[in-house]
Amino acid sequence: MRRDGADAVRLVLWLIIAALVLVPLVAIVVLAAGDNRFGLLLEGDVLEAGINSIVSALASGLGAVLLGTAFALLLERTDLRGRRALRLIALSPLLVPPFVGAIAWIGVAGPVSPVNRAWSDAFGSPLWSIYGGDGVIFLLIVHSYPIAMLIVTAALRRIPTDLEQAARISGASATGALATVTLPLLRPAMLSSFVLVSVGNLADFGIPSIVGTPEQYVTLSTLVYRYIQSGTVDDPLSVVATVGVVLLVLAILGLVADTVLGRRRWELDASTTPPARLRLGRARPLVGTLTWLVVSALTVLPLLALVSQSLLPAPGVPLTAENVSLDNFSRVLSSPIVTEGAANSLMLAVLAGLICGIVGLAIGTVTTRTRARDNAALSAVALFPQAIPGLVIAVAWLVIAPHIGLFNTPWLILCAYVTSFLALVVQSVAAPLRSIPLVAEEAARISGATRLRALFDISWRLALPAALSGAVLVALTAVRELTLSVLLLSPGSQTLGVAIFNLQQAGAYNAASTLSLLVTVVGLVGLGLAGRSTR
Amino acid sequence: MASVTLSSLHLQYPSGAVGLEDIDLTVGHGEFVALVGASGSGKTTLLRTVAGFLSPTSGTVRLGDRVVAGDGVFVPAESRHLGMVFQQHAVWPHMNVARNVEYPLRRARVGRAERTERVERMLELVGLGGYAKRDPATLSGGQRQRVALARALVAEPSVLLLDEALSALDEPLRDRLRLELQSLTRSLGLTVLHVTHDRDEALALADRVVVLDGGRIQQIGTPPELVSEPASAAVARFLSDATVVAGTRTATGFRADGFPVDVPAALLSGAATGDVEVAILPEDVDLVAPGPAADGVAASAGPGAESAVVVSSLYGRSGNDVILDWGGLTLRSRTADHRPVVGERVGVSIRRALVFPSAGAAVPSAAPAAGARV
Repeated sequence: MRRDGADAVRLVLWLIIAALVLVPLVAIVVLAAGDNRFGLLLEGDVLEAGINSIVSALASGLGAVLLGTAFALLLERTDLRGRRALRLIALSPLLVPPFVGAIAWIGVAGPVSPVNRAWSDAFGSPLWSIYGGDGVIFLLIVHSYPIAMLIVTAALRRIPTDLEQAARISGASATGALATVTLPLLRPAMLSSFVLVSVGNLADFGIPSIVGTPEQYVTLSTLVYRYIQSGTVDDPLSVVATVGVVLLVLAILGLVADTVLGRRRWELDASTTPPARLRLGRARPLVGTLTWLVVSALTVLPLLALVSQSLLPAPGVPLTAENVSLDNFSRVLSSPIVTEGAANSLMLAVLAGLICGIVGLAIGTVTTRTRARDNAALSAVALFPQAIPGLVIAVAWLVIAPHIGLFNTPWLILCAYVTSFLALVVQSVAAPLRSIPLVAEEAARISGATRLRALFDISWRLALPAALSGAVLVALTAVRELTLSVLLLSPGSQTLGVAIFNLQQAGAYNAASTLSLLVTVVGLVGLGLAGRSTR
Repeated sequence: MASVTLSSLHLQYPSGAVGLEDIDLTVGHGEFVALVGASGSGKTTLLRTVAGFLSPTSGTVRLGDRVVAGDGVFVPAESRHLGMVFQQHAVWPHMNVARNVEYPLRRARVGRAERTERVERMLELVGLGGYAKRDPATLSGGQRQRVALARALVAEPSVLLLDEALSALDEPLRDRLRLELQSLTRSLGLTVLHVTHDRDEALALADRVVVLDGGRIQQIGTPPELVSEPASAAVARFLSDATVVAGTRTATGFRADGFPVDVPAALLSGAATGDVEVAILPEDVDLVAPGPAADGVAASAGPGAESAVVVSSLYGRSGNDVILDWGGLTLRSRTADHRPVVGERVGVSIRRALVFPSAGAAVPSAAPAAGARV
């Protein structure tokens, strides 16, 4: 067939994706391979950080899947009271940036938190301090179990109730059916969320730098940050690129594992019958109370700690009426560092949302609404950055920055944002479009529309609401982002995330808490509004 | 004047699979032609080739006098001026009913006043008067299919293509739409190509039916021709559930290989001799009182004496559907007068058998010629 406008659009999209994803990743691999400093990986610091990264990633993956599956089963398949409210609250850590969560949890379980101080007064030593490796793993679990819960819940909803009812009619008890039918059918979802969470946590920066560093618990991401900030090694870029390639390889291994495991998936019929709920009977009040306690401890408690910290002048000051003031708010809001960071973040976030929205809309529709052999490849490359640690993307852009004249400019951060967050829009656009049969466009063709016209009138119009909410999600994620901006920021410049991080590092804990609280509240309100407007 | 002319059409998919082979078909102006066949027979491929969503490997597609595919020409779907209704209706969810229906007119740059007027007239015609501002999500499946039909017809296409257009609907509704579709297309004098896997629907609606198998046309004919004079044993089996048996034809009659089927020469129709296949239509099998012959022993007394066991017996309005085990052969019968019970022993009498040359060798070449009318 002839080449037409639709083919031109496809070519342009390939060029954009090549520039955003392929070029940076190839650059980092080329630099690492050229300098060949892989021997370094077995040296003391790097080896220790690598082991810490892998152990904390695997442990937090396991914990997140267990916790997420337990919540999913309790909230989907039992007659627990207040399931809808519990589900919303349990998912809320997803909306709080991990480094904000870390600052909040220091208020709950830091060495001088009210709990630990009371315990020390009574028994001589603190109950449990969040600083150190165990704290890092705990916080990683708290911030990633909602992802596992979402994936397992979705899988659970796809399991037809008939399958459980067939087990019941064959003589299985309610719990027996759960154990012999439901749980085995959930295994692929659990494995897949384990891989996703583990790879995602492999190079988290905020949590280990805030609660790991004080106890000298170093991971690959905090090590990379140290190398880039202070010239403790020769040619830091090549060392950092080597670490990045290792993380990239681990992420690809995770993807391969997920694909191989995912191949053994069952074809399930759509279920029309409402799910039968497991009656908890006399255990219901007890199970209900316990679930509410655990969920609130994981989500509401740190927010309360954040509130109390922002009302108090310094950590360890008791929460009494005469100590409470709004001084932190006025100080934070009038600080030039904060206003500059907020302005920068806002600009970068809006631009990232805009670019991701347009490019993501185009890629999401072209790959789902046309028949072409390169669709799968185009969508895979666009989605790939989601599967690799943000740290790798930051280092990759750092490697090519001098060659494209973006070194020490905010545009470098924008590029990294777009690379990282494009997948959010592509996914939110592609998912709803897949369920609409391709004849929608063919009906337009038969009605006299060219391929490009059908793409525009039917596909893009259909996808516009999803692209809009995807773009808002990108902007809200970018405005509170830390890992990419902390590594790519030019000296003397600020973003919101970096401003909070620097306040925390400089010991201004209460100011950091105040700003964290503001960012969290504004973010939650924004997400709520975005969710409502697209519904 | 012919509306659609397909000549020596071949289509091979990039994977190497053959989609269409040697298709010659002429659809007259105002004619309603149904394409039937099992899944994978090529009926949808043929329709999509006419629509312009597939490009033939060789051969030509003509709409009226205009070559739209072949001879180095390929006119894309949007420039062929066709109407099409899809199985999953394909009503766009982000436009209201009127916007859906007027879309082809917008593409053809028809002015606003005329658009509104034609959309209203068309909605009236499909029984959706007053539905113009409705959101498709609020419509039932049948109403959405009417919207799709209105959209396909509004620009007065040269040919209406129906791709399993009624198959997604439930039974009583499908029946009603079938009736409406016929009166609508006849009163507008439309040329229609209708793809369906429902044999009865094809026979009921069409002027002529095209039977496809393996990408080839097996037979073209009017519904009565196809039912009473199938061109091959395969067509008889597909369209009428005929029982097909291989055997030998001699001067005295037909004798099956391995089964107790003997049909005297007088009851055979068809010219083939030697190694042949016969197709026995269910309507040509009568159930009579069981003969004395023991199970599995071929009786020599001719039809009427052999006894068979009833495997299943389903009630039907126009005759009971009875499946018999006749000495190992599964034979189908449709009989109105008596409904046997499962397990009952009955006698079998064959009134007529259609003789065809043995399958494989002669059938494909013999088939397309039979019944073809231009």
